Amino acid sequence: MSKIAIGIESTAHTAGVGLITSEGEILSNQRALYVPEEGGIHPREAANHHSEKLPYLFKAALEEANLTPDDISLVSYARGPGLGPCLRTGATAARAFAYSNDIPLLGVNHCVAHLEIGLLEGATDPVLLYLSGANTQVIAYAAGRYRVFGETIDIGIGNGLDKFAREAGMGFPGGPKLEKVAKGDELLDLPYSVKGMDLAFSGLMTAAKQKLDSGHSLSTVAYSIQEIAFAMSCEVSERALAHTGKKELVLGGGVACNSRLREMTAIMTEERGVKCFVPDRSLCVDNGVMIAWLGLQMMSADYKITEKDNEVDQRYRTDMVEVTWR
Amino acid sequence: MEIKYRGAEAIVETRQWLGQKVIFKTRNKRGYRHPVLEKRLVKERLRSEARIIERLFSHGVKVPAIYSVDISKSCIIMEFIDGVTLEKALRGDNFNQYLDETAKLLALLHSLNIVHGDPTTSNFMVTDVVYAIDFGLSSVSDDSEDRASDLRVFLESLDSHHSEISGREIFLSHYSEWSDSGPVLEALKVLELRGRYNLMRG
Repeated sequence: MSKIAIGIESTAHTAGVGLITSEGEILSNQRALYVPEEGGIHPREAANHHSEKLPYLFKAALEEANLTPDDISLVSYARGPGLGPCLRTGATAARAFAYSNDIPLLGVNHCVAHLEIGLLEGATDPVLLYLSGANTQVIAYAAGRYRVFGETIDIGIGNGLDKFAREAGMGFPGGPKLEKVAKGDELLDLPYSVKGMDLAFSGLMTAAKQKLDSGHSLSTVAYSIQEIAFAMSCEVSERALAHTGKKELVLGGGVACNSRLREMTAIMTEERGVKCFVPDRSLCVDNGVMIAWLGLQMMSADYKITEKDNEVDQRYRTDMVEVTWR
Repeated sequence: MEIKYRGAEAIVETRQWLGQKVIFKTRNKRGYRHPVLEKRLVKERLRSEARIIERLFSHGVKVPAIYSVDISKSCIIMEFIDGVTLEKALRGDNFNQYLDETAKLLALLHSLNIVHGDPTTSNFMVTDVVYAIDFGLSSVSDDSEDRASDLRVFLESLDSHHSEISGREIFLSHYSEWSDSGPVLEALKVLELRGRYNLMRG
């Protein structure tokens, strides 16, 4: 029997409510983005934004799908990792909706949700290159868990791009703005930092700022940052593919919306004879649909909900989740 | 000619060369990389790899001997180590002994101011002894953090491929037999805490 889940996302900038059926049909994907007036994300301000927007997102999602709460058999929310105030706001909204309508409630891992939504594209056992603001990981399934094969050892790639863009006088979100101005084919000499399967971005961003200050054009610096940072990301995902012997790559996270990154991963996977799955941009960025979908996957394996499953966990790592549904 | 392995970096083939079976390691072009970056990385990595292996070999470390280097073809010709990867070997009963040898090998590398850069369990070969291979990401360094990064790469690949054995303690206890290992193990603690959302480990 077809089931419908509602998913609530609120780990960082995005408040999202999504609806999806157990067959993978997306009924609604409502999102609202918190944009700081200046500087980086302020957790409390972002949480205020989410608490203001979430009721409307619930309403809009149900209306778009033409559903009532009675049609829904699971409320799923992002338990972590993320910013505490934001997570608590989303979890509170989820609890209120679940308890007032008497629907089971389940908190799920945000990073795993990014991976699982990629499986909806047709991948079966992929390596996930997950590039977002705070998270930069290469993940693959091994022995009952999604293991992190490589990750950033300093800052997330998206936060790096945002920070550079901010210092260059552009607003949030920085990644898409840099993509727009990146032009030319001149590559500046910037640090390329791959350690095994791990990455580091802060040195790259600092050096890029110095290039900008020393008179190089913004378009050339932006172009060079993209070339270097994405080549690093491609290299570590290729290493993970070689190391695990897997034949599929899935992209996830907000930075995976970047056209140059998509082009580079397409070339890399073609050269390796590996399939590349790229979810729609609305599913790469943070969204409620993927949260709902992961909840349904977990319940399909008869996951037993405990009292722990209505908590939040800021440091909920990818490899802490026991994968029982595959 | 037989393709042994298509790595992230290079194609590794076995070929007959001057009457013996050898390894041809050829760095292949990466179409996704900017041509300038491509050239820079290939040249840097090829030269550094050859120099480092040479240096280790001359100190008697268990690494493949280098026979020839051809920069124009991005190719290194080296000794064929007839064994299995450590990844495979660790699935057998002798994992204790292999972890011991690998830890000592890595400590020896570090004591010669070389960091491997990618010491995953696929980058050690086991015959009757353990060899280190693939120095494509290695560098000359006596920095504790670089050394600790080596340990972290190894422990992570151990954890992701061999989660069934508790290799961490065995490996670190043997590594710590090296008299200068103290600062490296300290740096490892710091590095692991720095990993994003990383949990404290025992």
